[in-house]
Amino acid sequence: MMKIDREKATDLVLGVLGIGLFLVLWEVIGAYRLAGLTWPKLSDVLAFLFEPSRQGLFLRAMGASFSMVAAGYVLGLVIGIAMAALVHVINPLRPGMDRFASVVNAIPPIALAPIFIVLLSREVTGMAIATLNVFFVIYVATTSGLQSSTRGHRDLFAVIGASKIRRFMSLDMPAAFPALVSGMKYAIPAAFIGAILGEWFGSSRGLGLLMVSAMQNFQIPLLWSAVLIASTASLLAFGAMSLLERFVYGRFR
Amino acid sequence: MSAPHPQVSSTPWAIDIDHVGKVFTLDNGESLVAVDTVDLKIEKGEFVALLGPSGCGKSTILRLVAALEDPTTGRIAIENRDPLSLSRQHRLGVAFQDHALLPWLSVKNNIALPYKVAGRPVDHERIADLLGLVGLKGFENARPSQLSGGMRQRVSIARALILNPDVLLLDEPFGALDAVTRRHMNVELQRIWGEERITSLLVTHSVEEALFLADRVIVMSGRPGRVVKSIAVPFERPRRPEVQRTAEFHSLADELTLALEPEEAAAS
Amino acid sequence: MSQSAQIRRSSGGFFLTLVSRYWGVLAVLLAWQAWVSISGVNAIVMPHPIDVLLNIVQNPGSYWQNGSQTLLLAAGGLVMGMALGTLIAVVAWTSRVLSGILIPLGLIFSSVPVVALIPVLARLLGYDVRTVLAIVVIISFFPAFVFTSAGLRALPPGSEDLFQVLGASKWRRFVHLVMPSAVPNWMIALRLAAPPAVLSAMVAEFLMGSSGLGYMFRAAATDFDTAQAFGTSVVATAISVLCFTAATLAETRVNQKWK
Ligand SMILES: Nc1ncnc2c1ncn2[C@@H]1O[C@H](COP(=O)(O)OP(=O)(O)OP(=O)(O)O)[C@@H](O)[C@H]1O
Ligand SMILES: [Mg+2]
Repeated sequence: MMKIDREKATDLVLGVLGIGLFLVLWEVIGAYRLAGLTWPKLSDVLAFLFEPSRQGLFLRAMGASFSMVAAGYVLGLVIGIAMAALVHVINPLRPGMDRFASVVNAIPPIALAPIFIVLLSREVTGMAIATLNVFFVIYVATTSGLQSSTRGHRDLFAVIGASKIRRFMSLDMPAAFPALVSGMKYAIPAAFIGAILGEWFGSSRGLGLLMVSAMQNFQIPLLWSAVLIASTASLLAFGAMSLLERFVYGRFR
Repeated sequence: MSAPHPQVSSTPWAIDIDHVGKVFTLDNGESLVAVDTVDLKIEKGEFVALLGPSGCGKSTILRLVAALEDPTTGRIAIENRDPLSLSRQHRLGVAFQDHALLPWLSVKNNIALPYKVAGRPVDHERIADLLGLVGLKGFENARPSQLSGGMRQRVSIARALILNPDVLLLDEPFGALDAVTRRHMNVELQRIWGEERITSLLVTHSVEEALFLADRVIVMSGRPGRVVKSIAVPFERPRRPEVQRTAEFHSLADELTLALEPEEAAAS
Repeated sequence: MSQSAQIRRSSGGFFLTLVSRYWGVLAVLLAWQAWVSISGVNAIVMPHPIDVLLNIVQNPGSYWQNGSQTLLLAAGGLVMGMALGTLIAVVAWTSRVLSGILIPLGLIFSSVPVVALIPVLARLLGYDVRTVLAIVVIISFFPAFVFTSAGLRALPPGSEDLFQVLGASKWRRFVHLVMPSAVPNWMIALRLAAPPAVLSAMVAEFLMGSSGLGYMFRAAATDFDTAQAFGTSVVATAISVLCFTAATLAETRVNQKWK
């Protein structure tokens, strides 16, 4: 007990130390211009970010981007789970769906942008790419989770004469839950990446647009602020999912 | 890590387990007495077998001798020195309960591993000999995942023997074998051991195996482990399998079985 | 059996596996064709598959030049990023303090949308082909570092005890146990990093507008040359799928040997 606690405490101290060092380094590099004029001090970025007159700008961009992230996340989650369940019940479909998912994953989203722009609209391209990204992560996690119920349990359900649906509902689904939650965690940065990429291909709103226009117009603090907002949001959501994951693993394993 | 014992008094023993106890601290903060004051002296070239109910601390004693754990009380010396110095000099051969083969190495390379770790040239002839000895000719290039549990244990025994160790520690090396192969392996091990007379400590659950292989059989009580009986085995070496059918063998086996089941003995 | 019969039989089996494995992909392609033919949309908005193909065949030079440049940048950056990530993971492995500091940072960076770093890096390093390479290196670095670090600590059961009783020095332990143990994780990192490597190379080219497939795509889109825009998409997809398939095959091959 003592020993393990000490290990954990050391990890925590070192982790905090690492993050602190990273932030200090950011500030120092900016202060002494070690990386040139395009690396601002952390304190400058934060001051820029929390300047009251820009609240509206950032809030509007966040609203636009995060709604795309959330919509893409939910859609990808639903489609991913549905497809995984489908191929789990109708097994012959599985190789084709696996292949489809990995091809979708391998296609650079930039290559899909023109199709989405034609099929949907510029404004929701980010959501569509986020959906695809999330779909892939969730599909892979759920299919492998659905297979994780142990042989012994499956035999037990066969012996008591449970129907396929029954087994699916009361054995495979709960067994897949931890893997699904892990997938949901890794799907978070994937959703953000999708939304930002989509906005780079001609959206008129959002953090992605801010990044590109700031990059082109040398608005360095604005550029770093937009990146910092997107990264922090992703990190917070990721952290929240990690907590949920820990809870679920404690409960279902 | 265990501190070196500079002033270990000189003893004639190859392995001196001197009033050793081991207490584990569990995750919930409780302590568990795995071994309670075990005092055991093993002579050079002696083969000692350790019998006892599951969980009584047999593996723990082996790990203490291998310097994988430090004793909580008492101390252990091998040839009057810290056990750690023996493994540092690559003079220790160990076959673990769970074989511990490296999955990415072939059978041959798993057996050759101690050479590489010791920085010595690989003696391919000796590897081939040992492979024959443990009955795995033709499986040189197989991977551990392609072998049965018993075959993996035999690879692990060959690996323990490859460097001609001064001390051999065997933790239920034949536990996963069927009865026939097990008897065959016992005969083989007896023969190999007879050639080199390595000081050996064997943990086993089989009374017959202990009697057939060992010069001395130690019986431990249930947890916390203590020595409850020690029997010298009188049979001449080299021993032939027929010895197991003699009356003396049977009566010794009965005696050991009784010592292993004290409750039943008291009830009857 | 005659040779031609054998070939016919194996090609029949080939088509069966093709359908069972690729029905999803085929269905999407069919839907595209059907949608274009039925709705009869303007060719400027949505080109016909045949026009896209023609555009590629008629401009082999520019497709080849830009495509090979992007492939080289992506593959080269991937290899360099993997090497760098492995190196830092090994350095971190040697020290409790270093790993305690670096591993949480690595995890943080892999939970943020790393492509958002592309515009920042473009401004920091300047609009240049070398910047594209650096971006791919940095984006491939994080999975390599995180997975290799975990792999260096995922030793087979019992192996640590084994190496201690064998009296292994730290160096021999590293060479014979720790490095080989990390190989499966390293292959996972390679597979996971391959598509983002191609993507980030293309996106960097797209944003900075210098050369390569990403630039070609952007130029075509600005000129409303939809056939060429879709053509670059097709070539980019081919390159990315190629990299991903190569990484997956390598992973399967290595795992057969390693597990
Ligand atoms: N590292 C450890 N931490 C905590 N408890 C341990 C540890 N190792 C062993 N124990 C406990 O010590 C006791 C003795 O374990 P040991 O493995 O030595 O038994 P054993 O006699 O070898 O049993 P078996 O015949 O089943 O192999 C057990 O109760 C076990 O749970
Ligand atoms: Mg044991």
